[in-house]
Formats: sequence, structure tokens, C-alpha cells
Amino acid sequence: MFKKLLASGVALAALSGAAQAADKKLVISVYGFAQDAFKEIVYDPFEAQCGCELVVETGNSVERLAKLEARKDDPEIDMAVMSTHDALSAARKGITQSIDVSRLSNYDKLYDIAKDPVGDNMGVGYTFYATSIAYRADEVTIESWADLFQDKLKGRVAFPNVSTNQGPPALYMVGKAIGDDAADLKAAIAEVAKNKDDIVTFYERSSQVAQLMQQEEILAAPIGRFAWGAYSKMGFDMAWATPKEGQTGGMNVMILTKGAKNEDLAYEFMDFWLSTEIQTKLAEALVDSPANSEVKVSDEIAENLTYGAETVESLQLLDPAVILDNRETWLSEWNAQIGQ
Amino acid sequence: MFQNRMEGLALALPAAVFAAIVFLVPVGILLSEGFRAEGSWTLASYAGFFESELNRTVFWRTLKLGAIVTAVSAVIGYATAYSIVTLPPTARGRMIGLVVMPLMISPVARTYAWIVILGRTGFVNETIVWLGLSDTPIRFLFTETAVFIGLLQLFLPLMILSLISALENMPKDAVPAARVLGANWLQVFVKVILPLTKEGLVIGGTLVFTGSLTAYITPAILGGSKVLMLETLLYQRVTVANDFASASIIAMILMVMSFSANLLLKRLATARNKR
Repeated sequence: MFKKLLASGVALAALSGAAQAADKKLVISVYGFAQDAFKEIVYDPFEAQCGCELVVETGNSVERLAKLEARKDDPEIDMAVMSTHDALSAARKGITQSIDVSRLSNYDKLYDIAKDPVGDNMGVGYTFYATSIAYRADEVTIESWADLFQDKLKGRVAFPNVSTNQGPPALYMVGKAIGDDAADLKAAIAEVAKNKDDIVTFYERSSQVAQLMQQEEILAAPIGRFAWGAYSKMGFDMAWATPKEGQTGGMNVMILTKGAKNEDLAYEFMDFWLSTEIQTKLAEALVDSPANSEVKVSDEIAENLTYGAETVESLQLLDPAVILDNRETWLSEWNAQIGQ
Repeated sequence: MFQNRMEGLALALPAAVFAAIVFLVPVGILLSEGFRAEGSWTLASYAGFFESELNRTVFWRTLKLGAIVTAVSAVIGYATAYSIVTLPPTARGRMIGLVVMPLMISPVARTYAWIVILGRTGFVNETIVWLGLSDTPIRFLFTETAVFIGLLQLFLPLMILSLISALENMPKDAVPAARVLGANWLQVFVKVILPLTKEGLVIGGTLVFTGSLTAYITPAILGGSKVLMLETLLYQRVTVANDFASASIIAMILMVMSFSANLLLKRLATARNKR
């Protein structure tokens, strides 16, 4: 009898111990991409460090933003990662709160552009990427964004849809190339519209472009650097353009939800993710280009990333407020001129 | 069979409640969103939808491609189905097996195969250039032609199968009798085969038309954003703009189109009957 009592007592203690561990829980919302690598490099080591449970929700940015908004008054998600303009949109909707950067020990190591890209510390950049033109060097030369519309590329070029993250920055650079980079992107959209019959497709997923390039359907396309790995392995003479107008790109940031139930853990997790060790591992696995300026990687790895102070400074990123305030106009302008 | 109607109804109740909760109610809520604006019931969003030139283009393109795919599959379907039913039983079984086979392969795989076949370096273009029909490869991908080919290949088996079962139920002597009485093949088809197999044509036609309207993978992969169809537009509205109101309008339009097509085909079939 005594033994039984003891055993059940031990079981009870074990149970409550487990319950306590489960109480310490952090819920994050991230992109669905490279989750195996993230689990190995970020999630599992963090769980071991904090002795807590990490719940990961994934999905595309629209879905995740909609979910955050729906649960605004009783947030289940503590921390999320998203593009700078989605972070600004979330901030304006009152979903997120300003991040107390003094609580992030790795904050000072970040490149300047990653420190406060959204404004009011509503997001901290953890990775960015360059967007430029990947092209077949044996077939064409590209020295300007306007070269996308050269004769040799008629019927052999793809362009990102305005609805993708690559679309607006690419249009912005086309605008620069033709001498009109107004925020309404009207001139750039008109330029693309003029050439639309010579553009094979307006792609919506980067994997689609890789396939078209592999099949020699296209010879050039503006893409994000994060997709470059697949191109360099195609067995063609592929090149990454450094157009005279510069390269553009995008940045992803971490945000903290307003009323987050596990704020302390969220800070601990953000700091962990921004640390030199984790950012280096993510870079070496070619998952994310580092926003931490102390990360050092080999030339071979750097080749596939957006890496180094010089590259980072040369990026002509669109201001998130410009994206957010003009997105609807761009979409209707695009639909009117190109969509049909 | 039952003592009274109530018993029968009671047995059907669980299934009915299940269907209502998991299907009718959510669909009702989703679709009703298109009729609501600022808290009141209105048709304004529908009017607004058709005001956009892009939406009109997409609507007509969807209707046009659906109709052409249905018509072409009916023509090919009759020829194929007729030649199959006249075969001896073993050969017929084998041929039906061949018709069914594509249905066992995922539409995604079938559609990706078309990307390879229709591409610049694909089989079709290499043949065209080799035959000298064109000096340079023709661009098929991301055109309406590609979407048409993809949809036809996807849904033709359904038409053939519907027509085979209709033709099998047709009296064996009908065609020889008509021929003996002096009808040519066209007359035989119009006056004998068509009226006797119209049920199969209605079923096959509805399946092919509805399938073409609601297919997503094929227009998305072979057409892309340059050849938007209602289904790909719907997806774009939801995933890019989080615009469920437009999406529910498109869903409603698709449903109305499918039901109308079915009614229209049935009407055509009965009209012929009365004559």
C-alpha cells in the first residue's frame, strides 16, 4: 500500500513537473520555408537552452497576418517574422509593440539597415536579400535593368508579378533605368506593359523561374538572391547582374505582438536568433543571409548569399511605408495595363 | 419499406445534420459575404466585380475555354467512344483501361508533363522545327492554347467514359436499321445516336464543363498570371490581397455557371426529345 502511494506520489510530482515545463511556452509565427533547417539550427537548441516548449506556426504572409489580426485582443502568437512592409502594416493595425532593443544583447552587432527598418523599433531585421537579374552570360549581357527588354530577350524573359515580394522592387529599378522612379511606379508599369507580349510569364513563385531557366525557356529574370543556389548548379553559364542602377531587394524582420503572453521568452528567442553563432549557422546552411555584421563565412558560402558590408550598403530597398501606401495603386495600375 | 415517412426521415437525419453543419452552413456564410456591404444586403459588390475590365476578361475567358473544351471533347469523345463500343469485349476492356489510366495519374504530374512537352525544347516544338513548319520554336506555354490543351487532356476521359456507357445502352440494331433504311452517317448520328445517348452527353458535358471552370492546377501552371481564369483569380484574391469578399463573389459565379450549364444541357436534351 505504502509503495503504491509512494509510486503515485512520484508520478504526480513528475506530472506536475511536466506541466510546469509545458507552461513555459513560446508561440512563434514564421514563413513555411526551410523548416527542417530551422528546427535543427534554431528551434531545438533554443528549447534546450530555455527549457521551454516552442510552438511554431507557419504559412504565407497574408494568412499569418490575417490570423494575427483576428486574434489581436487575445494574441496566441508571441513573436513573428515577416517582411518590413507587413511589419509596418501590423504596427499600424496595432497588432505589434515597440521592441525594447536594450534587451537584445546582439542588437549592436546588426548592420545599420537592419536596426530599425520599420520605424519606432516595431521590427528588427534578421535577414535581407538582394534582388537582381539572373541571366545566361553565354547568350546575353545585362548591365542595366532596361536590358531586360533588349531584342535578344524578346520572348525569353520572365518578370516577377506585382503581387510578389520581388515585383515592386524590380519595377522600381526599371523605373530608375528609364529615368522615372516615382513611387507610383506608373512609368515602370507602362514600360513593362509595352513589352508584355515579349515577356514569357509574370511569375509568382521563384521555383517556377528556376524551372523555366533550366528548360531554356527563358534566358534572364529578376530574382531574389536566396534562390540563386539553384541557378549556379544548372550547368549553364549563369551570371548575377550588377546593373548600373544598383541592386534592390527586401528585408525580413522580427516583430513582438502587443499583449504577448510570453514576452520574456520572446526576447530571449529573438536575441538567440540574432546571435553570431546562430546567424553563422543559418548562413552556412544557405537558409538566410546574416543581418549580424560579425558573421564570417567562406567565399563559397558568401557567393550564394547577400553578404558583406559593401553589398549590404549598395542595396536600394523600397521604403516599407512606400510599399504599403502604394500597393493598391500598383496592383490596379498593373491589372489595368498588364493583367489582361 | 418504412412504417411511415417519419422513420425514413429520422434515419436520414444524422447525415443531413452532418452535411448541413460541415458543408451547407460554411458555404452559406462564405457566399453570403458577397451580398453584404456595410451591414446591409446588396448586389453592389457583384456590379462592382463586373465593372472591372480585368474581371470581365477573366470571366469571358473562363466561359469560352470551358465551352470550347466541352465541345471539342464531345466531338473527340463520340468518335472514340463509338469505336470502343464496337470492339469485341476483351479489346473493349483494354481500351477502356487505357482511357481510365490518365485519371489515375495526379493532375499536377500530368500538367508538369505538358510544360516539358510544350516548352521551347520540348517534343512539340522540336517536331515543328524539324518539319520546317516554323524556323523558331513557337511559344505555347502561358498562352490560352496551353491551358486549352491541358484542360482537354485532363477531362476528355470523363466525356469518353460517359459516352461509352450511353452508347452501350443503345439498342444494338438501331444503327444498322437506320443504315438499311437509307440514312447516311450524318443522319444516323443526328437522328439516332445523338437522341439515344443524350443522357450520357449531358453527364459528360456537365463534368467536363464544371471541371474546366473549377480546375486550378492546370491554368495556374500552364497559364500563369498572363492567362488568368476565375479559379486562379480567386486564389490570387485570397492569398495576395486577403480579399475574401471578391473570392466569395467568384465562388458564387462559378457555382451559378456550373448549375446553368447543367440546366442548359438538360434543356437541350429534352427539347430534342419532344420533336
